[in-house]
Amino acid sequence: MSFGDHSHAHSKSNAHGALASFAVGGSVLLAALLLTAFLLTALTARTPVFAEEPGGSPGGKPTESQRNFFEKEVRPLLVAKCYECHSGEDGAEPDGGLLLDSRAGWMQGGDSGAAITPGNPDASLLIKAINYQDSELSMPPDGKLSDQEIGVLTRWIKMGAPDPRDGAVKASSSGIDIEESRRFWSFHASPKPDLPEVRNTAWPRTGVDFFILANLEKHGLAPAPPADRRTLLRRASYDLIGLPPTPEEMAAFLNDARPDAYARQIDRLLASPRYGEKWGRHWLDVARYADSNGLDENVAHGNAWRYRDYVVRSFNADHPYDAFVVEQLAGDLLPPSKQAENRYDRLIATGFLVLGPKVLAEVDEEKMRMDIVDEQIDSTGRAFMGLTLGCCRCHDHKFDPFSAHDYYALAGIFKSTTAMESYKKIARWYEHEIPTQDDLRRRAEHEAQQASLKEQVDAEFASAKTAFLAKGVDESGVPEDEQLEKKFSNETRAKLKTLRDELAKLAKQPVEVSTTMGVIDGEVADAKIHLRGSHLKLGELAHRGFPRVLQVADIRLPAKQSGRLELARWMTSAEHPLTHRVMVNRMWRWHFGVGLVDTPDNFGRLGGRPSHPDLINWLAQNFIESGTSIKQMHRTLMLSSTYQMSSTHSEQAAKEDPENRLWWRMNVRRLEAEELRDALLQVAENLDLKMGGNLLPIKNRAFVFNHTSKDETNYDLPRRTLYLPVIRNNVYMPLALFDFPDPAVSSGNRATTTIAPQALFLLNSKLAERMARRQAEHLLAVKNLTSAERIDRLYETALSRPPSAMERSRAERFVQRYVEGPAKDEAAAGETVRDERELLAWQALCQVLLASNEFIYLR
Amino acid sequence: MAGIMSNRTTLTSRRTLLKQSAVGFAHLAFSALLHEEAQAAKSQTKGGGVAGESRLHHPAKAKRVIFLFMKGGPSHVDTFDPKPLLSRDDGKPLPFNKPRVTFAQTGLLLKSPWKFRRYGESGLPVSELFPEVAKRVDDLCIINSLHGTNPAHGGAALKLHTGSDNFVRPSMGAWVNYGLGSENANLPGFVTICPTLAHGGVNNWGSAFLPAQYQGTPLGNASVPSEQARVQYISNPHRSNSGQRAQLDLLAQMNAEHFSAAGPNPDLDARLNSFELAFRMQHAMPEAQDISQETAAARRDYGLEEETTKDFGRQCLLARRFIERGVRFVQVTHSDSNVQWDQHGDLRKGHTKNALEVDRPIAALLTDLKARGLLDETLVIWGGEFGRTPTAQGKNGRDHNPEGFTMWMAGGGVKSGIRYGATDDYGYYALHNKVHIHDLHATMLHLLGLDHLRLTYRYAGRDFRLTDVAGRVVSDIVA
Repeated sequence: MSFGDHSHAHSKSNAHGALASFAVGGSVLLAALLLTAFLLTALTARTPVFAEEPGGSPGGKPTESQRNFFEKEVRPLLVAKCYECHSGEDGAEPDGGLLLDSRAGWMQGGDSGAAITPGNPDASLLIKAINYQDSELSMPPDGKLSDQEIGVLTRWIKMGAPDPRDGAVKASSSGIDIEESRRFWSFHASPKPDLPEVRNTAWPRTGVDFFILANLEKHGLAPAPPADRRTLLRRASYDLIGLPPTPEEMAAFLNDARPDAYARQIDRLLASPRYGEKWGRHWLDVARYADSNGLDENVAHGNAWRYRDYVVRSFNADHPYDAFVVEQLAGDLLPPSKQAENRYDRLIATGFLVLGPKVLAEVDEEKMRMDIVDEQIDSTGRAFMGLTLGCCRCHDHKFDPFSAHDYYALAGIFKSTTAMESYKKIARWYEHEIPTQDDLRRRAEHEAQQASLKEQVDAEFASAKTAFLAKGVDESGVPEDEQLEKKFSNETRAKLKTLRDELAKLAKQPVEVSTTMGVIDGEVADAKIHLRGSHLKLGELAHRGFPRVLQVADIRLPAKQSGRLELARWMTSAEHPLTHRVMVNRMWRWHFGVGLVDTPDNFGRLGGRPSHPDLINWLAQNFIESGTSIKQMHRTLMLSSTYQMSSTHSEQAAKEDPENRLWWRMNVRRLEAEELRDALLQVAENLDLKMGGNLLPIKNRAFVFNHTSKDETNYDLPRRTLYLPVIRNNVYMPLALFDFPDPAVSSGNRATTTIAPQALFLLNSKLAERMARRQAEHLLAVKNLTSAERIDRLYETALSRPPSAMERSRAERFVQRYVEGPAKDEAAAGETVRDERELLAWQALCQVLLASNEFIYLR
Repeated sequence: MAGIMSNRTTLTSRRTLLKQSAVGFAHLAFSALLHEEAQAAKSQTKGGGVAGESRLHHPAKAKRVIFLFMKGGPSHVDTFDPKPLLSRDDGKPLPFNKPRVTFAQTGLLLKSPWKFRRYGESGLPVSELFPEVAKRVDDLCIINSLHGTNPAHGGAALKLHTGSDNFVRPSMGAWVNYGLGSENANLPGFVTICPTLAHGGVNNWGSAFLPAQYQGTPLGNASVPSEQARVQYISNPHRSNSGQRAQLDLLAQMNAEHFSAAGPNPDLDARLNSFELAFRMQHAMPEAQDISQETAAARRDYGLEEETTKDFGRQCLLARRFIERGVRFVQVTHSDSNVQWDQHGDLRKGHTKNALEVDRPIAALLTDLKARGLLDETLVIWGGEFGRTPTAQGKNGRDHNPEGFTMWMAGGGVKSGIRYGATDDYGYYALHNKVHIHDLHATMLHLLGLDHLRLTYRYAGRDFRLTDVAGRVVSDIVA
């Protein structure tokens, strides 16, 4: 699914795209082209094909009458009907690479080889195309030529296609200069830089600060003052565990006078199981995680949750990032994990490759197969390396040094991998069996039951046979078993039938064991280059391998394995220029709101350039030195003075650097969708912290939405938001409203939009209303509190601070007036009407706090 | 947005503007041209009240669109594309090849069970399935030569709505909304009434990488009767108007005090406005949906008094009301909780029922728009995600056919009373003056004053269009 790149791929199979069938373009084919041209010349040179007017040749000069015929009949026709797409006039690449505006153009031909075989209309693709004989190749696409026009072109070709137009074909620029390309910052590895000199030596706390401060000083700027403790803990808590600090946690931090109080808070947060839930969710964005397939046939990924839980576990365990990458790409090729409780994790991890959206009703099975391979290549490239490799499915990358050859070298690896059990619509993805002890026991029982039945059958048969033989055999000898059985008594036969039926019934009901989405190696083979991305037009073979520009010490692919394991090893090599820089940049983005490279999913030429190139290199090397420990990287980032700055505004700095790319202050950030919902639940004391498991009420592979629009999913659960089902094509509304990314596409850079429906959600949704009500109920449940004390509590819980005196009295006034005014309209009549009005008023106040900027934005 | 501009100052001011406007639905259409401006690197940002029209690429012939989507794929050879040879050769084999890939197996040619008659001054043929629409045939521009690629519902519906069947891309309504914006500050620019959640679901009205405010706002979905269809969270039954006003006033005070230290921040300003807009929308939306003031005649004409037509009739009536209030793109989906027009079998029964449900309401919509002088500036588009095969599936059914099918347009600058393009003698393949889905999109944008080549959005390093790398304006049908 090459989202966000050149999507020419999908025009290939419509009529316009079918133009592609005509022509050759693209560098990789140059050799083939020259060969075709050569063969053509050779062929025509020795074949007398000029039935109408011998004497010309495609290489030679047309005769006078041929020229007349061409100018009068042929050229106007080509100009009127073909040039729009098949001429080089506007400098654009002709459709399908085929030029019909010069003799050399059609001689050179297109994707499918030469367009014209002079002298032989029947063998000429052009004639086939204009006769609409092939639905994939019907030209011109917007209407068939008249019979008369078809006649002209047929006659012309029969003549030998005399063509006086002797313009040269524009040479196709293709060669990627690998050495030159490696000079681009992200395509070559960089050593760990020294820390730069800074003037204010008191400021830096971790290496990060030297790079940030040196740059600020260069621009004559000073960092913002440190954030106060309340702001800092609220920020760190949301950043690491996705939840606000409780009033107790805040109090503990405020009262901790030890010099490393803040570092202790970071350790506490990193050790919390909530940490893996928050950071696992970041990764799930990148992994385009979803509990349904989406696209055309939206069926349930009933076992995707296992992958989600694996991701959460990995983050909590500080599983080294390199191992995490290798497992997702090739966990099935590794020996199983030694830890009993996680023994299937390496199989589960490969779910990464199957989680993407798949066109499961694609009727063209080979196309479906290549579409899935494409989605895998694109997601792998984007998630781990920040590359948009999907572009090269149809042509060499327009901007980055990746060729179609590089693409199909990778495609060979994925094509040698089994991701699908069946391509028959509706296609089924592959799942590994991961039986539990209970599954194994039930399976063993089932097998024993079958064996016992079989034994009974055999015994019954044997005894009947013995009995039969005992009666003596006639001269025809002992009949075959089948014949023999017919001679048994009715009673025996009935008994045998019953036993056999029972056996058949058992065999038809195999014990269902747990399964998980994933891949295994399939038939290992290299892939051919698909011309213009079409599986119907195959070019040369591309041996399995890795993009040439990304140089890593030689890693050889085994002949008998797909090469996924080697791909993963190549990617996680310390020499790989992208993998580690992409990950540290992602982490920076998730802590600071903007990446050092502000396009975390694109490190190519069209992506951003690093604002601090040395810093990203330093972080990457640091990351590698730590054994790719993600938790260690959190400490490096969060213990820095840079992270601990306040978000205080500075006129001068804002003038110099309005986007804050130099990091002269902390960015203000809005809560992410999950953080918002989780916080609403937490402040209402309604959050269930149970971890993991499946919350999708729909059977694996069953339709989420097929022909109906009925939504069977239930989101009304107090669990953390990351555990709620993620349904492609219909993401849970509150999440979609607050910029949950499209789960069909790998994305490490969520947007922050502000739209009116968000306000409607906070004002009118059942969720916002119920959470406000629960909060109000809790406040009122504690007896003997004054209103002022209740308001203090509310502010501490919701905003992690006490109210000012003004805020306190304003809130009191609000409640009072609400009880006397609006609550009268809202409350139902009854005995407890006064209580109900009180509750409604407090609920209204709580809801305002939960909708406020201070609740939803972190400073 | 990142990466559009190298000039930082430009970026900031533009972003500020976008954010301020993003809150509102009427964002005044400068977004569509952001890219061009950026290319030109003229940092002159035009703030404030720039009317949508002044940002058009060329004068518009239509101001808005109503798309009547017939989910499932109505059969063209049984509705607007009569094929005498199909009747003559009923029961014979198709005399040429079927496509290389088909959705299902089909057999011999199956003639249409319905008779066609010529109607109006134009004398265009319409089958007896659509007697009421037939009376408006002089307003129609029937395109018989549509073709797509994907023979499955999901792929074809996505292709029709987004131009892409294998990538998640912005829907056409989102593109139009992005290009033109809403004319009503209190209503969204793109409303979709009872859309189907199947076969692409939200993606069929989503904004993909376009900013979120351009996505379609759904009213209910296909499994909800149109009478009950509402925008989510549009009202709070427990909160009084005065109560909510009091809340918003307190909220405004709190937000204003907050971040005084953080300096000017467009996000926070925008958020303040978004609550006020939401408050107004809570009134504007129910008002638009309240048909109690419609005349008895209108109710009758749209079929609201009859069981078979009242559901779709209300959808059509709502479409007119949204259009009147300045919504740019209204999609009306005809789909029951199944795939309504998908008659793999029981063609006669299914198509009869479906046509009966929509025929009167659609005719009433066209008549009503015309009577109000709205038809000239409203482009009405009718069609499904594909047509159906002239060959039989089973005894009395037709399979999906993306190779050739019919859609029609009316109003908004298209020629009226004409047929354009043609399929082959049996109606299998589009043959003459072929119109691809991309061409349909290019033409629709053209009529709205937008050039499909220039209506772009930069995402992930490349400029995207609704028409991808294809699309051709069918100038022959432009009035």
